[in-house]
Amino acid sequence: MTDTRLIHTVGVGAIEWLWAHRDGFRLQPDVDPEIGFLERFKPVGELALICKVLFREGVAGSRQAELARRLLDHAWRETLDGGAMLVRGQRTEPISPIPFEVYLPFKELGYSHPEVERAAVLNHRLDSWVAFEVTPTRRLGLSAFQRRYGLTPRPPEADLVGGTWLARTPEPWTVEGHIAYDVTHTVFHLTDWGENPGGLPPDIADYLATWLPVWIDDWLDLERWDLLGELLVVDACLPRPTLDERAWRAFAAAQQPDGAMPAIRTMPEGEPDEVFDIVYHPTLVAAFASVLATSRALSELAEAS
Amino acid sequence: MEQSGTSTLLQGAVQDLASSVVSALRGGDHARAATPGVVDSDAGGIALAAVRVLGSDALLPSVLLGTPPDPDELAVFRKAVESFPPRADAAPAVLWSHWAMARTLRRLDPSSAAGEAEPGADWLDGASWQVLTHQLAVLAPLALPGEECAVTRAAGRRPVDVARGFVRAVRRRDWRQAAGAGRWLTLLDGVPTTLGLEAGLDFVELMGGQDPQVELQVRAARLLRAGAPV
Repeated sequence: MTDTRLIHTVGVGAIEWLWAHRDGFRLQPDVDPEIGFLERFKPVGELALICKVLFREGVAGSRQAELARRLLDHAWRETLDGGAMLVRGQRTEPISPIPFEVYLPFKELGYSHPEVERAAVLNHRLDSWVAFEVTPTRRLGLSAFQRRYGLTPRPPEADLVGGTWLARTPEPWTVEGHIAYDVTHTVFHLTDWGENPGGLPPDIADYLATWLPVWIDDWLDLERWDLLGELLVVDACLPRPTLDERAWRAFAAAQQPDGAMPAIRTMPEGEPDEVFDIVYHPTLVAAFASVLATSRALSELAEAS
Repeated sequence: MEQSGTSTLLQGAVQDLASSVVSALRGGDHARAATPGVVDSDAGGIALAAVRVLGSDALLPSVLLGTPPDPDELAVFRKAVESFPPRADAAPAVLWSHWAMARTLRRLDPSSAAGEAEPGADWLDGASWQVLTHQLAVLAPLALPGEECAVTRAAGRRPVDVARGFVRAVRRRDWRQAAGAGRWLTLLDGVPTTLGLEAGLDFVELMGGQDPQVELQVRAARLLRAGAPV
């Protein structure tokens, strides 16, 4: 098993970098309509989801927790303008699920905006929401978010799991990058982002326990740090996580002294905003993987003592 | 330059020999491309080396299908076994490859006095699943139905690890390793059904089967799966 301190340190560095580069979480109100105003909301939603995990697991140090809280405040007040930007996004594309998806973790953390809530409830009534064409994994995520919001999921999650790649437990040698991301996100949705590892059906947990080590080995050797980080999250969601030492050591070694995690191989070069757009996600994932793996490692220690 | 020229010649001879084995496993003509006879010539030396590279699979048609070996082939094989015993400090895979050849020779030529003592297989028990699969793929000639040895027992204890190694080899486009691992997996109990081995072997053949050394292992695996008597 890997040294828990090493795992924890990865997350400390990642949050420091995210805090230092918080202005990278930015919207583009004057964006070309062909690109779409909502395109830049995803990083904000991911930041909130992962900070939520950090608070929930309770393994962050005081400075890490403090920075996460300030990051969330910054994202809500500055980036989202207290939720007004979510309203604006909703009015731009009324049927888009993106404002709802971004709003949910903020709502769970105590932030609120009544107009976003009205739109969420109205959309929930629409057949168009149910018919909206997305991948099976994303659809599973939307229903999981409806449940977390307090709405009755449409369609129910149980009806959706079987449509995902992972639930069919296919030939593991066919996995490539896109499939691997579908696998990780199916696990995130089934476990409420690691909160409920019991949400993984036993056959899926067995399948992952068998084949995840191969995928970790592979994407580690390819130095695909973003995907490796997500696979390390999946490991931490399993009934018996491996906390793979070789993978964690290499993941930690790939992290920059300032806490940034490159997406693939080494850090990109370019303007600060361009670099942010490439590395914010692997760095968020590093924080996520670190928090969950630290929590699992400490639980195992507690059980063993 | 001479070194690389010899090396190219040897690779060609290995591929030709593998092709002739594949042909015989298919039940077609057994073209004897790589058996110029046991003579003290460069060609004879290359042929011997090619047999040593392919190991006991050089006579796989006789082992799996029971067809009598060609006397010339058997003579080259015997010379490869008897003239080049491995050094005591050779790598375990080299020792086992030689042991497998000696066993095949004893079976097909009862007059052979090739040694029977098994080398140790402890190195496999301590190996990671990645190393285990690589070593087993090198020793794929030992993957035969009903033929026990310390290597088959070590493989039998770790079916999930060998299956992981198969997936790793396919992902890395290492078709020879994948084919060798696939041949082992056809013999092992406890292979996860989610592996999809049968389609996996077809995939390896589709992607890598133009290499006769890959095709040889896939053919062997199919015969093992069909229950070829030994």
